[in-house]
Amino acid sequence: MSDALRAEWTKLRTVASTGWLLTGAVVLTVGVSAAVAAATHVTSGQGQDSTKLSLTGIYLGQTVLAVLAVLTITEEYGTGMIRSTLTAIPRRIVLLAAKAATMAGLALVAGVLAVAGCLLAGRLWLPAAGLNPAHGYALVSISQGPTLRAALGSVFYLVLIALLGLGVATTIRDTAISIGAVLGLLYLPPILAQAVADPMRHHLLQVAPMTAGLAIQATTDLGSQPLAPWAGLGVLAAWTVASLVLGGVLLRLRDA
Amino acid sequence: MTVTPPRLTKGPRHDGFTPLLRSEWTKFRTVRGWVIGLLVAAVLCVAFTFLTTNDTHEGTCTGPPPTGAGPNSPGTGCTTGHPFVPTGPGGEAVADSYQFVAQPLTGDATITARVTSLTGLTSTRPANVAPSLANTRPGLAAWAKAGILVTPSTRQGSTYAAVMATGTEGVRWQYDYNDDRAGLPGSVSAASPRWLRLTRTGDTLTGYDSTDGAKWTEIGTTQLTGLPATVSVGLFVTSPVTFQDSNSGTPTQATATFDQVSIDGGVAGRAWRGQAIGYGSQSFYPTLGTGSYQRSGATFTLSGSGDIASGVGAGLLGTDTAGSILLFGLIVGLLVMVVVAALFITAEYRRGLIRTTFTATPNRGRVLAAKAVVIAAVAFLTGGVSVLIAVPLGEHLLNHNGSYVFPASPVTVVRIMVGSAALVAITAVAVLALGSILRKSAGAVAAGIAVFVLPYIIGSTLTGSAEQWLFRLTPAAGFAVLGALPRAAQVSYPYTLANGYYPLSPWAGLAVLGAYAAVALGVATFLVRRRDA
Amino acid sequence: MSNATIEVDGLHKRFGPTQALDGMTFTVMPGRVTGFVGPNGAGKSTTIRVILGLDAADQGRALVGGQPYPQLRHPLRHVGALVDAAALQPSRSARNHLLWMARSQGMGANRVDAVIELVGLDSVARRKAGGYSLGMRQRLGIAATMLGDPPVIIMDEPFNGMDPEGIIWMRQLLRRLAGEGRAILVSSHLMSELQDIADQVVVVGRGKVLADAAIEDLITRASSDDVLLRTPTPAEAAGALQRAGAAVTVIDANALSLSGLEAHRVVEVLGRAQIPFSEVTAQRATLEDVYLQLTSGEAEFRGRPAGEAPR
Repeated sequence: MSDALRAEWTKLRTVASTGWLLTGAVVLTVGVSAAVAAATHVTSGQGQDSTKLSLTGIYLGQTVLAVLAVLTITEEYGTGMIRSTLTAIPRRIVLLAAKAATMAGLALVAGVLAVAGCLLAGRLWLPAAGLNPAHGYALVSISQGPTLRAALGSVFYLVLIALLGLGVATTIRDTAISIGAVLGLLYLPPILAQAVADPMRHHLLQVAPMTAGLAIQATTDLGSQPLAPWAGLGVLAAWTVASLVLGGVLLRLRDA
Repeated sequence: MTVTPPRLTKGPRHDGFTPLLRSEWTKFRTVRGWVIGLLVAAVLCVAFTFLTTNDTHEGTCTGPPPTGAGPNSPGTGCTTGHPFVPTGPGGEAVADSYQFVAQPLTGDATITARVTSLTGLTSTRPANVAPSLANTRPGLAAWAKAGILVTPSTRQGSTYAAVMATGTEGVRWQYDYNDDRAGLPGSVSAASPRWLRLTRTGDTLTGYDSTDGAKWTEIGTTQLTGLPATVSVGLFVTSPVTFQDSNSGTPTQATATFDQVSIDGGVAGRAWRGQAIGYGSQSFYPTLGTGSYQRSGATFTLSGSGDIASGVGAGLLGTDTAGSILLFGLIVGLLVMVVVAALFITAEYRRGLIRTTFTATPNRGRVLAAKAVVIAAVAFLTGGVSVLIAVPLGEHLLNHNGSYVFPASPVTVVRIMVGSAALVAITAVAVLALGSILRKSAGAVAAGIAVFVLPYIIGSTLTGSAEQWLFRLTPAAGFAVLGALPRAAQVSYPYTLANGYYPLSPWAGLAVLGAYAAVALGVATFLVRRRDA
Repeated sequence: MSNATIEVDGLHKRFGPTQALDGMTFTVMPGRVTGFVGPNGAGKSTTIRVILGLDAADQGRALVGGQPYPQLRHPLRHVGALVDAAALQPSRSARNHLLWMARSQGMGANRVDAVIELVGLDSVARRKAGGYSLGMRQRLGIAATMLGDPPVIIMDEPFNGMDPEGIIWMRQLLRRLAGEGRAILVSSHLMSELQDIADQVVVVGRGKVLADAAIEDLITRASSDDVLLRTPTPAEAAGALQRAGAAVTVIDANALSLSGLEAHRVVEVLGRAQIPFSEVTAQRATLEDVYLQLTSGEAEFRGRPAGEAPR
């Protein structure tokens, strides 16, 4: 396993796209968050969630991490490299585990940087937008329990999204279709939820990976969330595990 | 001695664009996965339209909140199905609720009245509880209306013409729900009353206003063709739902005092008769109170609630149109189409087929153009067929489930269908161009999807106008082709995305998307010529 | 190197309607180069993919050094395989491609540099592999094969895309590796490529083994004992040789085919009779002849005979 890990790590660090995509994920996440923070103008004292608002960029940033995760496996199938890989590491479950561990590590680093950047942006810009102690909003700070939970949870969220991408891609094996499937799985349910009526809408938000997982970001008005924060992250984790198991089983069964 | 090199003999000229199109079409149709992709796109589009519309059940809750429940809980007496919505002379949805005091009138005549006071009440109950006059605060709606109205019938949705004083919008001349012309500005008070006059000559109706009853100014005129000899004529008061800073409106009531009422010419009926039109739980338009009429001598006092105007959503009808039905199915179909379009170009790069292609046709710009035409045609047809099935299916299901679907003229329906198919086609071309620029499917697919889907997701978390700008400036502006809700300047309503209104007109939205596609195609053409294959 | 063997035993595999492997059975022994030949579609690549655990057989098993490939702890230290020279990510440099492989086997970068030197890619090893020519990729593939210094080497069509110099180098390399006691399996659809390097030949067609023999045996078995004679006086020669016990067939005005008499006896008889001749050749079959004999009727895809115009 450790050899497989080192091999996968060597693979990831020796293609330029890894660095670009990781940087892109962090920059996009922080950039969108900063832009949203700068564009926000709160007039009335409605219940805004400063922490959640600061973390808006994750909606976009997760896409880049998912793409990176998808590429780590579909590029191998696309180029035929998978045959070299499986010749070197014939135990396919070990291979998938190594890929997942490396991807999780990278996503963790990118996630920590991105979330830290988002919170910093929120701390810097949101007070000017009216989300300041004068209007009854505390400054964004991880010294507060809920904010710390949202920050940690968001990092885990990004890790789980990357692993979900890996699982789906292992199942599908084609880059374009995998990315289509992952992004569809993430983004379509919340839009569908806007279109359907309530019992179904509520259930949809509870079981969909993105809406459930992002419940972790809420720090105020938890009752309006589809699920409790950690339960929501659990739903996403279930999706991730399911996709990896399916991918692993198919990887075992199929000819390379 | 010079030697002329032998010239390559030219075969029959085959450098037209058609063979290139044919070859690209052959490439497309011979990859089974792509053809299946189109099928999947169409099926998903229809299936998700089915899912979303089939799940939509409309119902209304009226009556007071249940005993013991908080003031914010929904009212008792819920019924399924949507309330009655009047249809105007042009087949459009209209609001037509007002307090009327009228008498029959035969032949040409001039009706004059003076409005000396116009005041209002605003409901203080939450939107999901039936309003009551017991819970109100003073407040006059900007578009509260009091004036003279002529109509052949008091059936809701009938043709009419009216001259009126309003809350804050001055004197107005309006007819047939959509047409509006401004007269004297300012509001009404005892110190500054408004004189109104409406004349009928055959089919022609003309509105005048005056501050003193001596000097009259014509505001507007119209012909109501086929107006019968005998019409109802009289005084009316109504007051629309107002929207403060939220999306849920509150009903209002207005009370106006008229005097100096006269009818010159024609054969007038014997007595004034009060009528509350379009009230009650059967009507969709939220009203406050039941409407009332008092006469003491020459002074008429009317209280009314409602509106006589285009049937804008007003928060109660929902926002379903022949276009909105499509939204989700279209997004899902687009997602699949993005994948197919990206593969159509990037598969060539991945497998080195692009070198064969460019060897066969060295003019690379034309290759790209041919590919764009093929994918556009394929996407347009796929989108068109899906929409052709999805719109009637969705409308049928919504009607069946009791939801109100705003009526759309055949022209509008065709516009929605063609526009949606064009949206799919232009998107496919943009993604194709992006794929050619990036030469990798990953970037093209991710960008293609994020650009269309994210505005809908991020938009809902944003505040204020940021969301509007997303649908003005990003390629998602193209979704404006789905916009089909009525919009009226004389109805104050939050014309926001959440209420189904796109910030751009359909074709302008499509043009924004088209501009993105054109830029992408331009860059792609430039790069494909410059780069090594 | 006792674990230097490949045992393929009764492999069956079906892809849809195609029976790709139909009881494929053979053994590769250490110290020998075993040629694995057959027409396109005969099942060579599928067999190799099953040996390497890339594809699963429906029936039968393949063992490397007595173990199924997927159970090897560091498989590249047991088996070096050149399956598809294009099986790499073009955006990674050759050196880094080898580096991840080395890491997967618990080896370090020094081994990578050693194999790069072995295949002569030193000057270009830090360039992206995507820009390599077919021959360079083939050398990179061979470097990957040698990475774990394995006792078993499998090469699928290693001569494809190599320049003549490369082919000679490759042949020498294979001979040397066999000389070191390794078991080497080399597949090819051209028998001629194997003529001077293979000790053993496994000829396959339609998913099964048609012949499995030492190359000498195969040739001897296929050879007749005919002798070709070229002479300006065929009539006299025929008479003299018939008297010596040969059966004579006339090929053309100057050539006879003889049987029943070995070549050195023919020279002796002609010399004694003072009959002039320009050539006496024992008609030994070439490996190509053997191959064509064996595989006639087994080719999966057969072209139209040359000269026949397509309709």
